[in-house]
Amino acid sequence: MTDFLNDWGLTAITFVPLAGALVMMLIPRDNEGAHKQISLGASLLALALGVVLLFDFDYGSAGSLQFVTDEKWIEVINSRYILGLDGMSLPLMALTVLVMPLVFIYSWNHIPEPGNGKAFLILMLILETGMIGTFVAQDLILFFVFFEVVLLPMFFMIAVWGGPNRRYASLKFFLFTLFGSALMLLGFLALFFLSKDPATGELLRTFDMRALTDVAGAGIVRSSQLLIFGGMFLGFGIKVPLFPFHTWLPDAHTEAPTQGSVILAAILLKLGTYGFIRIAIPMLPEAAEAWAPWIGLLAVIGIIYGALGCLAQTDMKRLIAFSSVAHMGFVMLGIATLTDFGINAAIFGMVAHGLITGMLFFVAGSVKERYHTLDIGRLGGMLIQAPRLGWILGFITMASLGLPGLAGFWGEFPAILAAYQPANGIPVETFRTYMVIAAVGTVLAAGYLLWLLQRTAMGEPSEEFADDPNITDVSRIEWIAWTPMLALILVFGVAPGLIFEITDPAVVESLNNCLQLPAGCEGVAEATQAAFGG
Amino acid sequence: MLLNQFLVLAAILFCIGVYGVLVRKNAMLVLMSVELILNAVNINLVAFGALNDDVGGSVFALFTIAVAAAEVGIGLAIVLLMYRNRRSIDLSEADMLKG
Amino acid sequence: MLALLAQQVPDFVRPDIDWHAAAPELTLLTFGALVTMMDIVWLEKGRKLTSIVASIGLLATMVPIITLAVDGADRSMFGGAFVVDDYALIMKAVFILTGYVVILLSTNYIAEGDYWENEYYGLLLSSILGMILMASARDLITIFVALELLSIPAYMLATWRKRDLKSNEAGMKYYLMGVFASAIMLYGMSLLYGGSGSTLLTDINESISGPGDPSAVVVLGIIFVIVGFAFKVSAVPFHTWAPDTYEGAPTPITAFLSVASKAAGFVALMNMLFVGFFGRDDVYEPVIWILAALSMTVGNLIALRQTNMVRLLAYSGVAQAGYMLAPLAVAGDVPDSALAATVGYLVIYAAMNLGAFAVVIAVARKTRTAEIDDYRGLFHWAPGLTVAMTVFLFALAGIPPLGGWWAKFRIMGAVIEANTAAGVVMGIFVAVNSVIALYYYARIGVKMWAEPAPDDDTAPVRVPVSLTSALVLTAAATIAFGVLPGLVGEVTKVSLLAGVGG
Repeated sequence: MTDFLNDWGLTAITFVPLAGALVMMLIPRDNEGAHKQISLGASLLALALGVVLLFDFDYGSAGSLQFVTDEKWIEVINSRYILGLDGMSLPLMALTVLVMPLVFIYSWNHIPEPGNGKAFLILMLILETGMIGTFVAQDLILFFVFFEVVLLPMFFMIAVWGGPNRRYASLKFFLFTLFGSALMLLGFLALFFLSKDPATGELLRTFDMRALTDVAGAGIVRSSQLLIFGGMFLGFGIKVPLFPFHTWLPDAHTEAPTQGSVILAAILLKLGTYGFIRIAIPMLPEAAEAWAPWIGLLAVIGIIYGALGCLAQTDMKRLIAFSSVAHMGFVMLGIATLTDFGINAAIFGMVAHGLITGMLFFVAGSVKERYHTLDIGRLGGMLIQAPRLGWILGFITMASLGLPGLAGFWGEFPAILAAYQPANGIPVETFRTYMVIAAVGTVLAAGYLLWLLQRTAMGEPSEEFADDPNITDVSRIEWIAWTPMLALILVFGVAPGLIFEITDPAVVESLNNCLQLPAGCEGVAEATQAAFGG
Repeated sequence: MLLNQFLVLAAILFCIGVYGVLVRKNAMLVLMSVELILNAVNINLVAFGALNDDVGGSVFALFTIAVAAAEVGIGLAIVLLMYRNRRSIDLSEADMLKG
Repeated sequence: MLALLAQQVPDFVRPDIDWHAAAPELTLLTFGALVTMMDIVWLEKGRKLTSIVASIGLLATMVPIITLAVDGADRSMFGGAFVVDDYALIMKAVFILTGYVVILLSTNYIAEGDYWENEYYGLLLSSILGMILMASARDLITIFVALELLSIPAYMLATWRKRDLKSNEAGMKYYLMGVFASAIMLYGMSLLYGGSGSTLLTDINESISGPGDPSAVVVLGIIFVIVGFAFKVSAVPFHTWAPDTYEGAPTPITAFLSVASKAAGFVALMNMLFVGFFGRDDVYEPVIWILAALSMTVGNLIALRQTNMVRLLAYSGVAQAGYMLAPLAVAGDVPDSALAATVGYLVIYAAMNLGAFAVVIAVARKTRTAEIDDYRGLFHWAPGLTVAMTVFLFALAGIPPLGGWWAKFRIMGAVIEANTAAGVVMGIFVAVNSVIALYYYARIGVKMWAEPAPDDDTAPVRVPVSLTSALVLTAAATIAFGVLPGLVGEVTKVSLLAGVGG
C-alpha cells in the first residue's frame, strides 16, 4: 500500500476524477441521479486519497518532493511524466480535493439552466483533474498541459450555463488566459533551450522543474532572463489576475454559474500565483529580483483598484469578484517581496482566499436562487428573513476583511508585514511605500465588505421580497456543502501554524537556492509566533 | 554573348506572360499568357542546356511541353464548361464566390 | 542538339530499378488504372464497386510502405532523383491515409449527388499517386511531373459538379491560379538549372551554396520556386484562390485540397529547402519568414469575419499554413527540429482538418448549407457531431490535451531553438495568432453549445456509416496525438540532410 502510494498515489488522485468522467460518458443523459452519484463519488475518492496522502506525508521533510513519480513521457523533447508533492503544493492540492466534493454536493439540487447535468458534471470532473495535475506536476510541459486543460471546461461552463452575457464573458476569459499561456509557453521553451549546467557549462535540455530550479537560470544572459520572466509573468499574471489584466475576472465571475464562480475563485486563480512561486521565481531569481518592484506596484494598484471597484458595484457577485482582485493583490505583494516570510504569507493567502471567496460565491449563488437578483440595492433584511444565511454571510465577510482569529487575517497581515523588509537587492523604500498603500487597502476592504453586509443582511426586508415564500433559510444540502469550509476558516484562523509549518520548509528550500534571505527572518512559523504570540 | 540574348528573350516573354495573366479578363487570353511563360521556360532550359553541354535541359523542356499540353487540355475543358453554363468566359463576371 | 543526343544514346544503359522502393507508386498506379478500366468495361455496372476498389487500392499501397519502413534502409534510384527515406515514407503514409478518409467522406456525397462516380475515384487515385511520388522526388523534373500529376486531376475534381456555376467558378479559379503558379515555379526551376547545370537537388545545392553572395540568377530562381509552392500551400499573398475554390468545390474535395494538396506543396517545398537550397538559407529564410508571418496574421484576421464554415476553414487553413511555414523560416539554423516540426504539424493537421470537414459534410446533409449560423444549437439535434466538432476546432486552436497543441508546441520549439531575433519574433507571432484564431474557433463552439437551434428545428440527422467511421478515425487520432504526443514525436524524427552531408 505504501509502495503504491509512493509511486502512484499522485497519479491516482489526479486521474480519479477523469476516470469518473469517462464512466459518466457511457451513461445516458436521462439518468441524472447516477451522474450526480458518480461525480460525487469520484471527487470523494480523490478526497479520500488526498487524506491518505496527507497522513502519509513526511512533514519532517516538507521541503523536499515526496511521492515522486518519474516516468518516460515524450522522449523526443525530453519531457518526462514527473509528479511530486512538497509543502508548497500540498495545501493547494488539499484545497482542491476538499472544495470539489463540496461543489458536487451543492450541485445535487443546483444544476443551473439549461440543465443537462451530465455534461456539467463531466466538465467539473475534467476541471478537477486539470487543477490537481497543475499542483503536482514537476515537469514544465506536463504543468503546461494541465494548466491548459482547465481552460476548455471552464469556458464551456460559463458559455453554456452562465448568465445573460455569457458568450462575451466566456470568450473574454478564454482569450485572455490563452494569450498569457501562449507567451508563457515560449518562456518555457526558451528555458529549455538556454539553461546550462553551471558546473559543466553543458546545455541541460530538460523540462524537469527540479533540475531547472537547481540551476536557477545559470548560463542565461540577463536580458534573455528578463524576457523569459516577462513571458511567464504574462501567463501567470493574467491568471491571477494582476491589475491591468484583471478585466476578464469580473465578467467571468458575474456570468458563471455558482459552481463555476466557486471553482474559479477558490482554485483556478491560484494556478497563477502558484506558477509564480513554483516556476517563475525559483527558476529565474535574477529576473524576479528585477521584476519584483513592478509586480509589487501592480499588486498594490490591484489592491486599491479592486477596493474602489467594489465600492462602485451594485451587483453582489461583481463586488465579490473585485474583492478577489484586491485579495490576490495581497498575495502578489507577498510574493513580490521574494522573502520566505512574504511567500509563506502568499500561500496562506491563497488557501484563505480560496475558502473565503469560495464561500462568498456559494452564498451569492444561494441569494440569487432565493431572490432572483443580486442587486445590492434591492436586497436587505436577510438576517430577518433567512437568519442563518445572513449570519454565515456576516461570518465570511468578517473573515474576508481580515478579522484576526479568522483565516483571512493570516493571508493579508503577514504579506503587508513582509513588504516592510523585502529581500536583499530589492528597493526597501519602494516596498515600504507599497506597505502603506496596502494597509490603506485593508481599511477600504473593511469599508466595502461592511457596506455589503449592511445593505444585504441588515435592515428590514424590502417590500418586494417581504412575503416571498421562496426565501428560505439554509437548506440541508447547503449546510453539508458549506460546513467544512466554514470550519476550516475558523481553524486556520486560530491555528495558522497548521499551514505555515508545512509551507515554510518548502519555501525556504526553493528560495535558498537563489536568494539571500534578509537577516533575522528565519522560519516564518517562529516569526509569526514571536510577533503575535499565537 | 549568345546566351544572354536567349535569356533576355525568355525574360521578356515571361514578363509579357505575367502581365497578361494579371490584366486580362478573358479566360482564353489568360491561358495563352500562361503558355507564353511556359515558352519562356523552354527557351531558358534549352539555352542553359546548350551552354552547359548537358542534355538534361532539353529533356526538361520536352517534359514541360508534354505536361503543359495535358494541362491546357483540362483548361480548355473547364473554359468550355463555363461557356456552356453561362455563355461567357469573362473572368470578371465570375463573382459568385466572395466573402 | 540532335547530334548531342545521338552521341549519348549508344551509352545509354537502363538504370537499376529498385522494385521494392517503387512498389507503393506501382501499386497505386495499378489500382488507379484498374478503377478507370472498370469504368470503361463495365460502365454503370461498376458504379457500386469503384469506391471499394479505390479504398482497397489505398490500403494495398500501405503494405509496401510498411515493409519499406520495417526494412528501414534508405533507398535511392536514378542517380538520386527518387529517394525513399523515413521522411518520404511518413509523408506517403499521410497521403494514403488522407486519401482513404477522403474516400470515406466521398462515398455517400458523390453517390447521392448524381455525379459521375467512376472517374472520380480514378482521378482521386492519380492525384494521390502524384503526391506519394512527390514525397520521394529529389530532382527538378521529378518534382515538376509529380506536381502536375497531383494538380491536374485536382482541377477536374474541383469542377466536378459540372452544371453548378459555383463549382465551375471554383475550378476555373483554381486552375488558372494553379497553372500560373506552376509556370512561375518552372521559370524559377529553369533559372536554377541554369545556375547550377543540373536538375538534381543535391547537385544544385552543391553548386549554389558556399560562402559569398549568390548570383542574381540563383536568387531569382529560389524566390520564383518558393512563390510557386506558396500558391500550392495557399500562403498569403498567394492564397486568394483557396476560399473560393474551397467553397465551390464538392466538400470532400475541399477536404482533400486543404489537407493532401497542401501537404504535397509542403513536401515539395521541404525537398527544395532542405536539399536543394540548403546552403542558401540567407536567401530563402527571409522570404519564408515574410510568407509565414503574413499568412498567419492575414489568414486569421480575415477568418474572423467569415459567415460560412467552409470559407472560415479555408482562411484558418491559410493561417495554419503560416504556422507550418514558421519553422521553415529558421530551417538553416535548426534544420532537424524545423523539419520535424513541420512534418509533425502536417500529420496532426491532416487528422483534425479532415475531421472538421467530415462534420461539415455530415451537418450539410440536413441543412444543405455551410453557413455558420446553421450551426446554432447543433448540440440539440446532433450532440455527437457537436462533441466531434468541438474536439476538431479546439484542436485546430491548439488547446491541450487535443492534438493541435503538440503541433504548435513543436513549431514554437523550433523557432525558439534557433535563438535568433527572427526566430523569437516569429514565436511571438505564432503565440499572438493562436489567440486571434481561438476567437473564431471558440465563437463557433459557443454557437453550437449555447444557442437555440434556428426555428427550433431539432430533427436529428442521419449520418451514414462511412462518414461515421471517418469521424471516429479522425477524432481518435486527434485526441491520441494530443495525449500521447510521443507518437508523432517519434515518427517525425526525420532528417533530409543525409543527401547534403549536413
